Amino acid sequence: MSGIKLTRRGFLKTTGIVGGGLLIGYVAMPGNNAPAVTPTEGAISPNAYIQLTADNQIIFYSPRDEMGQGVYMGLTTLVAEELDVSLQEIQVEFASVHHDYKHPEYGVQGTGGSSSLRVHYLPLRQVAADTRVLLLNAAAEDLGVPASSLTTENGYIFSNGKAYPYSDFIATAQTLELPAGSPLKAKADFKYIGREIARNDAMAKSTGTAVYGVDIDLPDMHYALVSRSPVAGGKVKSFDDSAARATTGVTDIVQIDSGIAVVAQSFWQAKKAIALLQVTWNQPQLANYSSNQIKADYQAAIDGEKGDTQGLGSIEEGLETASRQVDREFWTPYLAHAPMEPVNAVVRIANGEAELWAGTQSPSTARGLVARHAQLPVEKVTVHSLFSGGGFGRRTYLSHVTEATQVAVATDKTIKLIWTREDDIKNGWYRQASIMKIHGAVDSQGLVTAWDAARAGGDLTPHAIAGLLPGVFTGTPELVNNMAVSALESLYDGWIIDGSGVEGLVADYDFPNNRLRHVSVNHGLPLAAWRSVGHSFTAFAKETVMDELAEQVGLDSIEFRRRNLQGNPRLLGTLEAIEQRLKSWEVGAGRHIGIAAHGSFQSYVAQAAEVSVEQGKIRVHRMLCAIDCGQVVNPDIVRAQVEGAIMYGLTAVLYGDVQIDKGAVKESNFHDYKILRMNEAPAVDVIIVDSDKPPTGVGEPGLPPVGPAVANAVCRATGKRLSALPLKLA
Amino acid sequence: MIEFSLNGNPVHTDVEPDTPLLWVIRDNFKLKGSKFGCGMAQCGACTMHIDGRAQRTCVMPVAAVAGKSITTIEGLGTPDNLHPLQQAWTDQGVPQCGYCQSGQIMTAASLLNENPNPSEAQVEEAMAGNICRCGCYPRIKAAILTVAEQSQPGAVQLANPVATSEEVQA
Repeated sequence: MSGIKLTRRGFLKTTGIVGGGLLIGYVAMPGNNAPAVTPTEGAISPNAYIQLTADNQIIFYSPRDEMGQGVYMGLTTLVAEELDVSLQEIQVEFASVHHDYKHPEYGVQGTGGSSSLRVHYLPLRQVAADTRVLLLNAAAEDLGVPASSLTTENGYIFSNGKAYPYSDFIATAQTLELPAGSPLKAKADFKYIGREIARNDAMAKSTGTAVYGVDIDLPDMHYALVSRSPVAGGKVKSFDDSAARATTGVTDIVQIDSGIAVVAQSFWQAKKAIALLQVTWNQPQLANYSSNQIKADYQAAIDGEKGDTQGLGSIEEGLETASRQVDREFWTPYLAHAPMEPVNAVVRIANGEAELWAGTQSPSTARGLVARHAQLPVEKVTVHSLFSGGGFGRRTYLSHVTEATQVAVATDKTIKLIWTREDDIKNGWYRQASIMKIHGAVDSQGLVTAWDAARAGGDLTPHAIAGLLPGVFTGTPELVNNMAVSALESLYDGWIIDGSGVEGLVADYDFPNNRLRHVSVNHGLPLAAWRSVGHSFTAFAKETVMDELAEQVGLDSIEFRRRNLQGNPRLLGTLEAIEQRLKSWEVGAGRHIGIAAHGSFQSYVAQAAEVSVEQGKIRVHRMLCAIDCGQVVNPDIVRAQVEGAIMYGLTAVLYGDVQIDKGAVKESNFHDYKILRMNEAPAVDVIIVDSDKPPTGVGEPGLPPVGPAVANAVCRATGKRLSALPLKLA
Repeated sequence: MIEFSLNGNPVHTDVEPDTPLLWVIRDNFKLKGSKFGCGMAQCGACTMHIDGRAQRTCVMPVAAVAGKSITTIEGLGTPDNLHPLQQAWTDQGVPQCGYCQSGQIMTAASLLNENPNPSEAQVEEAMAGNICRCGCYPRIKAAILTVAEQSQPGAVQLANPVATSEEVQA
């Protein structure tokens, strides 16, 4: 035990920021002072988010990226509500990179941490409300009536029974000062917020017309594929490209930081050529490790004395008053994100300017990376953000943007660089693997008296920072950035705890005596925020032990949790919503119910899994989920995100396992990195708990309870407590 | 030269004959709706109809479709003239990231062509080759069953579970 002691409050704060996957904040985003939006002829753009054109078209510039989670709809809903325009008629565009669009908490222009509606709910409504009042003021002046006599509806201002399109008042509005602090609508007056409205990107995504990064097609564009070290961090020692060069269509083969890039006129030509490359690699330290050794190192660490510790009360006293105890150890593996659209980037550099086309979770970092590697000022780089074919945390890592830029510079060509699925699975960034231990104790009243938890494994945050720094401080030498990352790694190793590895492990319940110990063990595999980050594994340990403690004292799993949730009414509320619904569930013969509850990203989720075990095979038939995410902006998207989080979680619970062999990832594509398919997918019933609290996370919080709910059901079915993911019987 | 029919029109290409159909359609014929997901016929994002049947095109050499009839998502329906499945997908808010949905819809259309009234289990079996990482499976299944039901003789048009904005405003 060493280092700085953090107070519980201070610790939780750290966890929240790191849990979002990003720690660099409060750095002024570079760029010039030009406005974010240049209005077209006759249009007005009173702020960075809204443009009203001469033909009464509203354009909304979304500051956050759309990767399936629904901000394209959700944020537009906020604008439609307060500007009083028809939601389906708002044209949505992804914002350019500009400091006006930076994430209010992360300091960069990025999307993640299930934060978009939480951080934009009031500010974006305010912007839209102020814009509406500006137009009303202009109309009052033009029409010679008091503004208070005017009303609005669907993009029109009404005066004495006559309707005027908003655009009629653009000229006058341009001469007026933009109001501030205009009143926002009361909940009772909401027309769009909280209503059942189908998402506005479904049509494009159902007709093949939505444009993703991979769809960009420019004149004279060439494809690039990269051969990378099978072991992360390996550098090219030597290579023979003679056979590859002789392949039809190959125009260039160049060495870049990450490996050897093959450039050809078509994807297929590049694919055929790259198979003929002969590359030998300098092996980094990671090459000495395989999964068994990594696990053994974690085991030794957690069994040892080292680490950082924090807590409340006294574990010893808590154990003295206990009647029953549970002491259990857990293993959770590395995981890949595997979004359906493998990462890709199109880069064009000409006449001292560069353009990037890509769907990312951090356009400002992407811009910085292009600027750094094209040796241009950031003002000379334009980012065209596009729909992302899934994110889940993977698109905060932008090495493909660096690669595309380096290849474009080296070849003087417009480059579309694509990662194949094999690249995606074998050369990516991974969810941390962990060993966790929980020693829990309970008294005869069913109250938890001691909660002693520990985790050993890699620290994610230095990897997140390492990915961001070169794109944030574009002029700083890589060496300096690397030193900063090393310093951070040292800080976590024995000084403070990286919250992204322990968030959720000592949480949610009234644990009067608790202790959290963490031991950092880093082997060098690149680590990433993966949908719900630390919660994706800590909930499994926490909720399994809670279930076992309930069993030990002979209490129903919901009743036991209720007794220990007296300080957490919102999580209890979701649990009781489940309890209520379960009364009318007819559980099929041979099926069993498992319960779990977990709070994350400021939202609260309880789940029940209906599971059967047949011939050693786990089958999840139905999932019931209650979520309290505060004020709901679009209930159908909340349901969709919860359904999706459950499926994403189930893939991890039943199959997800990235294995390391001498430093290299063994899996390579969907045949050996299995993904849940429709014939294995459960029915999902989502209950949204009504709430007037501000909106909180939706994309991630549905995931953490899935594993323990299923594992707890498996225990009912078989009597076996499974404590390793993916779940395996015998 | 390889000749085939693409969304009802005769086309030809002189691309290298081993080039997978997916890339020929995307890059030579500029139809980007069919997606690259895995390159080994594991995920179904590249699904098109070849002579009316759903096939994985990321591993199919273009030479193999000489003389055949290819339909892509763009040929199935357009925003102005939606296929019933596309209508159901839109009404029921099926897509999340949307990347796999062209392939999902093409597989579903092929299923309904062969079996206009599939059971839930038959839908699951037919769709098991299409991965959706966002986990839209319950909605995909529901949308297919909705279309199947609507296509049955004497079917009553069901109200959409999700109202349009106009209905909300009314």
